[in-house]
Amino acid sequence: MAENFEQHSDISAADLARLTQEAQAEATPSTAKIIWSEFKADKPAMAALIIIVSFILFVMIGALFINTPKMMETNIMGYFNQPFTADYWLGADSAGRSVAKQLIVGSRNSIGIAIGLTVISSTFGICWGLISGYFNGYIDWGMQRIYDFMMMLPMTMMIIVLVTIIPHYNSVTLTFIFSIFYWEGTSRLIRSRTLAESEKDYVAASKASGTSHWKIIFREIMPNISSLIIVDCTLSFAENIGVETGLSYLGFGLPSQTPSLGTMIANANDPNNITQYWWTWLPAALEIIVLCLSISYVGQVLRRAADASQRQGSIN
Amino acid sequence: MSLIEIKDLKVHYPIRSGFWNRVTDSVRAVDGVSFDIEAGETYGLVGESGSGKSTTGKSVVGLEKVTSGSIMYKGLDITKAENRRKLDYNHDVQMIFQDSLSSLNPRKRIEDIIAEPLRNFENLSKDDEKLRVLQLLNIVGLDADALYKYPHQFSGGQRQRIGVARAVATNPKLIIADEPVSALDLSVQAQVLNFMKKIQREFGISYLFISHDLGVVRHMCNNIAIMNRGRLVEIGTRDDIYNHPLHIYTKRLLAAIPETNVNSREAHRASRLAVEEVYREQQSKYYDEQGEAYPLVQVTPTHAVALPQNVAQQLARQEGEVQA
Repeated sequence: MAENFEQHSDISAADLARLTQEAQAEATPSTAKIIWSEFKADKPAMAALIIIVSFILFVMIGALFINTPKMMETNIMGYFNQPFTADYWLGADSAGRSVAKQLIVGSRNSIGIAIGLTVISSTFGICWGLISGYFNGYIDWGMQRIYDFMMMLPMTMMIIVLVTIIPHYNSVTLTFIFSIFYWEGTSRLIRSRTLAESEKDYVAASKASGTSHWKIIFREIMPNISSLIIVDCTLSFAENIGVETGLSYLGFGLPSQTPSLGTMIANANDPNNITQYWWTWLPAALEIIVLCLSISYVGQVLRRAADASQRQGSIN
Repeated sequence: MSLIEIKDLKVHYPIRSGFWNRVTDSVRAVDGVSFDIEAGETYGLVGESGSGKSTTGKSVVGLEKVTSGSIMYKGLDITKAENRRKLDYNHDVQMIFQDSLSSLNPRKRIEDIIAEPLRNFENLSKDDEKLRVLQLLNIVGLDADALYKYPHQFSGGQRQRIGVARAVATNPKLIIADEPVSALDLSVQAQVLNFMKKIQREFGISYLFISHDLGVVRHMCNNIAIMNRGRLVEIGTRDDIYNHPLHIYTKRLLAAIPETNVNSREAHRASRLAVEEVYREQQSKYYDEQGEAYPLVQVTPTHAVALPQNVAQQLARQEGEVQA
């Protein structure tokens, strides 16, 4: 059989290295290069990327040097200390705890939960949507009824109940509890695109080439909806920061001894704090705004990189 | 023995309606089609759009769930998935698609696209695989620099040739060509068709050539089957179909081929209108009460037509007299 091809083509093993080199010279640039050139073409997005990366690195590393239990001890001498002083860079709250230190540890907790939640819920939602959309028929029907059931549950109420009945919970268990409820939107979105995508000829061609279902789902269809996945992941990351923050604000998120962006914004519950002691809540609120804006800028660039017709970078 | 034998193939799609969403009726896309394909020949399957030719083709590759009937290959019925697995069926039977752009995964490089069937059916080393892909590109007339490019960087004709390269990668026995050139302009059509012919000569491949373009079919096929509303209405050699058409549907298809000779424009127009006139007046003679085609009857050893026996004989005699 191999001879058959040898006979009718004047390419033989001797030419392999030379031709590979020729092909590599003409090769289309890799995805990583395209994304990088997109960032270079879009200055605000580049700034946003630098802000996100350096901020996350800063809080992750900085939190390691802070002794949290000691930091959270009440210190009556620091009662609502003014900001921009030597001991309290950003002032102190009603218990005399440093706002700056709380901000670092709190950001680490909140961002950690948001990352964990995005990874777990998006992975699950994407797999659920892909499988449901690809196989269609009875499998789709069954999986969508489970989805409908999950959608029917009052999400916030369930989380509050779960948080109250679990005796000792920390940020890891909280992440898992959130993950049970936050995969649905992603899964529906992915399913709808998969339904359309699996009707296309290249899927039929893969089936005719003898490729297995799982390989078709994850190696053929998934790369083709990657722009949707990337946009959805970045947006849900921004949203997930809000999920934890919102619940902590209501008092059902992390335990009170664990600082988070939500517990810090909860300081704004008190009208006195809003008007006089602005430094107790404003830094955390600003941080969330800046982070979410930056994430959506980065998401836009990733989306453009995934879609050749929208690119602005020099490599096409 | 023929390479592949299709017997009484039926593909019906259910129509669901009503409150309980029950099956109330079915669309008979393919309704009892039988024909054989010999090794090394090109078999033409012709019909208007919606006549079920693509569904037939997809059933033969194993992409369509068959309602009933059998497709025999090497003594096994490949409408069953386990038989397809046992035979490594798609190693021997491949497909070329109509839409060259959508049939190539836009996120994969050409090397990965052409190597896909090789990775599934043949365990080649990395270098052997790349060599085979380069040889295939060479055979379909593309340069080695296509290797690491993406499908959207090629023209329609080049893409279709990549599709041809993928189909012949495993050196199959049969390729289903589902309107392979309908989406291409005329000069590129000829280019791709000639490639397909060349590859057929070199590798001894059979084609099931699905098309609605009778001019192209005449260029490519030895045996032709005409399909109408899910059934075959006429089977014959190229000569039978083009020179002695018996069924009114075949005649209408032939009359619909555009003629470029301006001088005899009026004569062509008259003959087209005459065929249409016959169709309108004698429809009941060619189709049964439900408007379906009759079962096929043999007129000559190579020629069969879907008409009642006596009508077929009579028409054949008339046709013979006209020729004589």
